[in-house]
Amino acid sequence: MKRAAAVLLAAARVLLVVLAIGGVARAEEIKMVGVITKIDISGPDAKVATATLKDTKSEKTVDITVKDDLTLDKFKDHRIVEGDEIRCKYEVKDGKNVSNYFRKTAGC
Amino acid sequence: MKRAKTIGTALAALLYASGAPAAEHPGRAQIEKDGYKGPATCEECHPGTAKQFLGTVHWKHASKVDNVEHLDPKVEYGMKNRIYTMCNGNDVVNNLKEIPKNSAGHSKLTGCNTCHPGNHISDVGSTGPAAEAAVDCLVCHSSDYDFRQRKPYKDAQGRVVMGQDRSTKAALAVGKPGVKNCMVCHESAGGGVLIKRGLAFNKENDAHAAKGMVCVDCHKSKDHHVPTGFDPNNWANDGVRLACSDCHGDKPHKNADYNRHVAKIACQTCHIPHTGGAVAKDFTVWEQGEDKFWEPTTLKRDANETVPVYAWYNKTVRNEPHFIGPKGSRKDGKSKIYPFKIYMGKAFYDKETGKLLSMDFAPPMATGNARAGVESAARTLGMKDPAAVAKNAVPGWQTIYFASSHLVTKGKALNCVNCHGVNGVLNFRELGYSEAEVKKLTNPEIYFKQLVEMQKQEW
Repeated sequence: MKRAAAVLLAAARVLLVVLAIGGVARAEEIKMVGVITKIDISGPDAKVATATLKDTKSEKTVDITVKDDLTLDKFKDHRIVEGDEIRCKYEVKDGKNVSNYFRKTAGC
Repeated sequence: MKRAKTIGTALAALLYASGAPAAEHPGRAQIEKDGYKGPATCEECHPGTAKQFLGTVHWKHASKVDNVEHLDPKVEYGMKNRIYTMCNGNDVVNNLKEIPKNSAGHSKLTGCNTCHPGNHISDVGSTGPAAEAAVDCLVCHSSDYDFRQRKPYKDAQGRVVMGQDRSTKAALAVGKPGVKNCMVCHESAGGGVLIKRGLAFNKENDAHAAKGMVCVDCHKSKDHHVPTGFDPNNWANDGVRLACSDCHGDKPHKNADYNRHVAKIACQTCHIPHTGGAVAKDFTVWEQGEDKFWEPTTLKRDANETVPVYAWYNKTVRNEPHFIGPKGSRKDGKSKIYPFKIYMGKAFYDKETGKLLSMDFAPPMATGNARAGVESAARTLGMKDPAAVAKNAVPGWQTIYFASSHLVTKGKALNCVNCHGVNGVLNFRELGYSEAEVKKLTNPEIYFKQLVEMQKQEW
């Protein structure tokens, strides 16, 4: 009886650990540097945009979904334009590459 | 006709002052009718402003400086001519120009003064009617500026010109500068986004931004003279200063114990517990990017990623070839403890004089050859035998203390334990306190009852 209870307790602990790890697991963040080849944004009130980046290393193109207000504003007034080199971090969410970090590499 | 227009404009101004919507700038109908013609249009209602602007730091990138040691009081210093290791170049040696082709055969137009609000033909510190006509009023004052227009290009005579958006559309959105107008230049200073100060003025990182404030709410200018604090590394100033107490007063807290600290502890010390931006740069070794251009090797950190150092500061500055930072002490009667962002930069020093040398970025940007940049700068500055200067130049590090004046927090400000705990952020010994004083300052007796009471109130 005592042994069965111990086994059950151990199993419960394993289950808790598995659940905890699963609960905090995050989508993998991918980093890239690429040049913008296209920006799709629908007007001045847009809350989302898609920027296509050509990876400077692999030369593959990646569509990045941008939702943060600051970057959207930079698209709208053309502070960020096609041809700019970008340092980007993104996560894959629901099949889309959603940007967490989107900044021009160039400075003054 | 001109008189009628003036009266109309005055009436519009009166209407504006009496409660018209803040976004509506007077004179809209006139701008729509006549189109925007640069500063001449602005001068219709703001006569003399362009000429006045030419006397400010934003145009001159320099001013006389009276709180930094080893400077000539008659000479103006600033981004125009300073040599230090966050920006090893300046407007003079690293003037906006076409740089040599890189290994991929590409060139580009770049230089320190790309942020100057002129057209580059009328450049940093220029004066006269042509300079007045070249002022880009809208880059700071329009909320609908098309930044595709603000790019350098070569005109028919081969001169490098900085473009401007002088469209009527941009002019119709004229008003008080918003955050983005300031951040267009101030965000990317020092070689990239948030490199210099990690200055992210947004609601996630700054309590003032979270309240909806904009830069000019604190940096409220008069006649385009913009007030600034006493950053040990920001020398040029318009002669107008600002401080937290201008708005918050000398007793900003409800708690008397906190208010007692104000005499010796700067507001920033508790309310700016983190800093950000580049930690170090090496101008002697440049790295090639994927685009085949080269950049100085830079160790970057984001906003709020690093912690400051703390020092007594009396608003005067120690200025030596290997150190730029605060002067002050516990006992001088003028100093307070301030937080600083520490930065270290490596660059070349003159073998003969030991002074820091500046660098023209054009050669190393194309080839990675840093000494070629030193030689070019030495030539521009008229130094004797530039090739020898560059060949014999000695690499060395410079430490710079930047003021930590943004990234303000209310909710995450330091409290008693953060400083008075035994492993607190303030190193009382280094700040000049005796062992007995340190023992007293780090004893829970000093804060225990008060924090327990606050804890009860919170829960």
